[in-house]
Amino acid sequence: MISRNIFILSVIIVTFCFAGCARLDDNLFNANVHKIDHYQLNNYKGEVDFTLDANYSIPTNRVNLFTLQSKGADEASSTKIYAVYIGDTTRISSDTVIVYCHGNKDHMDFYWPRAQLLANTSSKNRYGVLMIDYRGYGLSEGKSSESALITDVDAGLQWLKSKGLSGERLIIYGFSMGSIPATKLAAEPRSLRPSKLVLEAPIASSEALVQDASALALPGSFFTDLKINNADLIKNVKQPFMWIHGTNDDFLNVKTQGELVYKNYGGAANDKEAHLITGAGHSNVPVYYTFQKYLQDVGAFIRK
Amino acid sequence: MRETILASLIIITITSCAPTRFVKPLAKKQQAVNLSLGGALISYSKLTIPMPFVTATYGYGIDSTLTGFGALNITSLVYGNAQVELGLTKQLLQQKGVWPGVSVSPVANIIYRNKDASKVYPQVDINAFWDYNNKRNFFYVGISNWFELAGKRVYDQEQEHHWLFNPMIGETFVRNKWNYNIELKVIAPNIANNTSIVDYKTPFGSHGAFGIYIGCTRKF
Repeated sequence: MISRNIFILSVIIVTFCFAGCARLDDNLFNANVHKIDHYQLNNYKGEVDFTLDANYSIPTNRVNLFTLQSKGADEASSTKIYAVYIGDTTRISSDTVIVYCHGNKDHMDFYWPRAQLLANTSSKNRYGVLMIDYRGYGLSEGKSSESALITDVDAGLQWLKSKGLSGERLIIYGFSMGSIPATKLAAEPRSLRPSKLVLEAPIASSEALVQDASALALPGSFFTDLKINNADLIKNVKQPFMWIHGTNDDFLNVKTQGELVYKNYGGAANDKEAHLITGAGHSNVPVYYTFQKYLQDVGAFIRK
Repeated sequence: MRETILASLIIITITSCAPTRFVKPLAKKQQAVNLSLGGALISYSKLTIPMPFVTATYGYGIDSTLTGFGALNITSLVYGNAQVELGLTKQLLQQKGVWPGVSVSPVANIIYRNKDASKVYPQVDINAFWDYNNKRNFFYVGISNWFELAGKRVYDQEQEHHWLFNPMIGETFVRNKWNYNIELKVIAPNIANNTSIVDYKTPFGSHGAFGIYIGCTRKF
């Protein structure tokens, strides 16, 4: 009996040996932990990082849910993704717009309070806010990938451009995994060149992630083919840059991730600003910041 | 959020992917093949599970107090990395009454992916063991020590940790042709675990991780 089991185990092991190609890339994405069959946004009762009181509520007539077709240069066909625009879509040509690139969990319902909060920057609905669900997130079709993050956000920028927005009035904001498309599209613009970049709890690189998790100086390529390298890309960003990070971030370390990105910023020294939020972790920076101060500082950065 | 990058689950296992290879040396010219399964406890999908790491080891009794061995980390191989261990187990002291036998195992951990991605980690395990039940079984305690030789990490940042030590206890049930082993290990209790993207489960709070391993050895 034991010999038979050993044989079976040996077969499994040999099979593994010939596999040899497993990578951890897909684990970057944590979409739809809580599945949805429709977007609820203002009415979403599922898990969120924080909730907002009625002072920050957005009138439903300013919440526009729609779909976009996202297609990369190397793709044969386009993919349907979902987006939400907070604001008046007929005034985009004259408005300033924040494109919010959300993190790696769930979908836009999960991140709705964050987008809603940003729609209160300076004053309620002073700025438009666009958020998209990347491929594989929420009801967006397709499969998530590093390159699709960028393609999908750029699809949002194309839509804004079609509505008359220019790069001078575009601010791109990336939270956590959202720092990947935000930094990329600020450093190497496609449809529009954002005028400013805000990164909250950014990733420095896939290799830095590997080394943080192992406490060893391991090559990132041992485990992943991801090319995330915000710490290098940021050298090409000349637009004003705002970095926000919780000092107790236990997911993306402030020193080994965010600070690296900040240090490597390629613009003028007085065009960058750092906001280290004492005691804040990864998911609660606006709470520790206090919503009022957070909105005040983001607003001041946009107007600067 | 933290459970998401399962990615990193694999990573720490480089230092904790297996139990101690040989606590006691084999008899002279004796051969043994071992398979072990287990790893650090992590939180995954609301469950606490050990990382499922599989390692295969071959050992040979050079003499009655010295065993040479080589091990292959099967799980690393799945990820396209050849991770092998080459080492020796030397018994330094024989058990005398309540005083345990003591062995030391210097090991070279070699991980190779391609010419741009390879690492060597020296490892030294020290174990004290007590035979009981007419040498049918033995209990052991020990410390496994890993050493990071690199002075810098990515982007030329200082490599903060150079010594990862893993205290452990284990029990081996000895049969004629087979040994069965279970080992519990505290992984890197000197390193904070709350700055990592992995949600390690440990009774030791914000430091280290806790590993559970089982193994079986066929002797020839």
